[in-house]
Amino acid sequence: MAKQRTEVADIDRSLYDFKDSEEGFERLAEGLTPEIVTEISRRKDEPDWMLEFRLKSLEIYNSFPDPTWGPSIAGLDMDHIATYVKPNTDQSATWEDVPDDIKNTFERLGIPEAERSYLAGVGAQYDSELVYHNMQDTASKMGIVYSGIEEALHEPRWEALIREKFMTLIPPTDHKFAALHGAVWSGGSFVYVPAGTKLDFPLQSYFRLNAKGAGQFEHTLIIVEDDADLHFIEGCSAPKYNVANLHAGAVELFVGKRAHLRYSTIENWSKNMYNLNTKRARVEEDGEIEWISGSFGSHVGYLYPMSVLTGRRARSSFTGITFAGAGQNLDTGTKVVMAAPDTRATVETKGISKGGGIQTFRSSIVVTPAAEGAQATVSCQSLMLDDESRSDTIPAMDVRAKNVDIGHEATIGRIGDDKVFYLMSRGISEEEARAMIVNGFANPVAKELPLEYAVEMNNLIKLEMEGAIG
Amino acid sequence: MDALTIRNASAMPAPTWGWLKMNNAEVAIPAGLAPAGAVDVDAPQELFDNARPFEVAVAEMQERVDAARGEAADDRACLRAAKTGGTHADADGDLGDLDVPALSRYQERACREEAEGDIARAFETGMGHDARSYLNFLAGEPVALGTTEGERARAVVRVEGEERAAAAVALDVVAAPDSELDLVIELDGTDDFGDADAAALIGSELRVFAGARSRVNVTVYVCALPATVVLDDEGYVLDEGARLTVRHVVLGGGTTYTGLAADLRADGARADIDTSYLATGTESRDFAYTVRHRGRKTVSNILANGVLAGTSKKVLRGTIDLVHGCKGSEGTERETVLIASEGVDNKTVPTILCDEDDVAGNHGATIGHVRPDQLFYMRSRGVSPEAAEALFLTAKLEDAALTAPTEGARAAVARLAERIAPDFDIDEADEEEAA
Repeated sequence: MAKQRTEVADIDRSLYDFKDSEEGFERLAEGLTPEIVTEISRRKDEPDWMLEFRLKSLEIYNSFPDPTWGPSIAGLDMDHIATYVKPNTDQSATWEDVPDDIKNTFERLGIPEAERSYLAGVGAQYDSELVYHNMQDTASKMGIVYSGIEEALHEPRWEALIREKFMTLIPPTDHKFAALHGAVWSGGSFVYVPAGTKLDFPLQSYFRLNAKGAGQFEHTLIIVEDDADLHFIEGCSAPKYNVANLHAGAVELFVGKRAHLRYSTIENWSKNMYNLNTKRARVEEDGEIEWISGSFGSHVGYLYPMSVLTGRRARSSFTGITFAGAGQNLDTGTKVVMAAPDTRATVETKGISKGGGIQTFRSSIVVTPAAEGAQATVSCQSLMLDDESRSDTIPAMDVRAKNVDIGHEATIGRIGDDKVFYLMSRGISEEEARAMIVNGFANPVAKELPLEYAVEMNNLIKLEMEGAIG
Repeated sequence: MDALTIRNASAMPAPTWGWLKMNNAEVAIPAGLAPAGAVDVDAPQELFDNARPFEVAVAEMQERVDAARGEAADDRACLRAAKTGGTHADADGDLGDLDVPALSRYQERACREEAEGDIARAFETGMGHDARSYLNFLAGEPVALGTTEGERARAVVRVEGEERAAAAVALDVVAAPDSELDLVIELDGTDDFGDADAAALIGSELRVFAGARSRVNVTVYVCALPATVVLDDEGYVLDEGARLTVRHVVLGGGTTYTGLAADLRADGARADIDTSYLATGTESRDFAYTVRHRGRKTVSNILANGVLAGTSKKVLRGTIDLVHGCKGSEGTERETVLIASEGVDNKTVPTILCDEDDVAGNHGATIGHVRPDQLFYMRSRGVSPEAAEALFLTAKLEDAALTAPTEGARAAVARLAERIAPDFDIDEADEEEAA
């Protein structure tokens, strides 16, 4: 009898794949022109410097060619993308004030419940604008600021700081889609954690892109001052359409001396999404950035959170998992620049590909001449669940300092027969054995997530084993 | 000859971010080099007599591969994507079949090559087409060597540079089934240069077809002078059960490029590549290795071990490509780099491309200085950290000298040692080894 391959099911996205009507929404014309950029700025009543910044970014965007090293973005035609869609509501501080259909969407995604259970504050963005933003009084009393970034930009107290930091870690000249973001950014959060302040519960922003053929370009700016501590969670989802949607957000994180920031993301965009997101952190002396990253959705993904360690003994860690199923080409990984003595970096990633999906781990570790005594370890494991899929590993290391210790290990393969055999010898069926192995493979990432998110991740992976064993 | 720049040489099959400046090399050929220099091929007459054209050997293999190839339709999503050029939106922005992934350029090329199954078209050398053309132009008519079925033979090829001159050899080798060939290539510049800082270029262009169950052992020694540009470009096609062993010893030369591409086309083929390098002063080393596993149960090992001193630079691009259908294959890549000085620039991109599930791909890299436990041991024996690091440098030379395949290679190492490590005594090393 022929042996039938056991199957691992695709991610069940029915939880996220529902659409709301756009009735009453304001939608700017598709395409990318100076007029559209100016109109976005006008609607937001921005200071002049921001409009100039946007128009300059648009020029840079138009001067850049498409990237040639990653997945094709030929299906992304900006002439078919609406860069600004405003829902039929303004930002509220209570869920009761949010229109029912939008509120129901976030209810189905579990956001208000999570807020009640374990979060210190929540921001919810729907298409191009924030529709809900709130933080517990206790956090406010600690001096923590968590608001929409546009709201903060209109406060004299914060405008100067935002202007000083905005798109300095991710300048529009960084790459084509950083320039696009600079031109049409809309929404996103601003977080300021004063020196010495430690928030015990996480803050969370959730981004929902409902509009068909639209882009979401939120900007997240977080400043964690010296000796402060924050956990920030980011989630995102969208319903599936047959046309391209685009996400080109930007996340800029400033981590002060001896400060700590954990940034957790579960990315679950729909399979028509081009996720061209940029995230970057600068870490000062004895500070630490922890990235926890799960990438499950999108048709095409380019995502490489970057840590720039500028202070002595600054640390970064990246723990990530990427699951690429049918039709997905997810190019993910991380970048680290070690630019100060005795800095430390650890990278641990897991990649799973199945059903013809393509998963690529791409990384760079750059050790500058100033980083004497730097230590970095990179561990990358990829699991192939069938012979239709693809998994590539492209790690780069550039070391220019003496007395460093840089280690790299990577493996690609399928579930080992020896492991299955061992578990079966303990009375476990082959299907169960394979499921246990795959769950164990993903576990190092799951255990780093808040419980609710770990559950969501397991739900996302939903590794159901089926098929006859011959 | 005018100055010449070969762009996109030694390119990675799967590129990464351009800002890292690792994707490829730009080879600057100095101006004013006359085509001169000595090329000497020392081989038994039967190797010349039995020579067969490389293209004929590949064409014969193609016939066998085509005959064995099934007609079964392959409807994998990546092949569908390659046929349509990936996902493109139509005039209305419709993406069409969302189960087709949007392939990158290298993934599309890989799918196309897989669908074509054309060995000759897929043939490549490590440094790429333009460098190959330049070396073939410089070398003139290739030297063709062929082994006899079941026989073992040895050939030594020496290319000796001259000041303000460029010299290269082009070699076409066809190893008959069940034969064995030891091929030594010495790329050297003598100290007879009137001006040791005078520009020079030496190179070697090698194509090898390794017949079924043959063994091909290639050793390349590079001990050129600090102002010499060295180009070593190699391409291999391995038939069923063929085994390739390559040893690259790159100790000298101002700017050296070593490129190797191996096509493990048939089942059971194996390639073992062992590279040892040293760079001092402002020298630069560039390595580009690509091993494509296409046959089933093929094996590759890429090992690189080097010492970087002074303000030297090194790039290693190593790619193991596990092509769809190479079931049961395993590719491993390991690198150890000792950084002995401040100002060194060490770049490494150990890539694994995997389009098959029943395979294993592994790579590891360790980049650093002398380990604390090693330093402690040395200190306890009265050896300072600086002296300990110098020991690693001379150890490279010692190992190269003791394992040199020819007297010529050994003499070249000795000359190099005199220049960069005057305290190193090759005879003393010999005696210690004997003891």
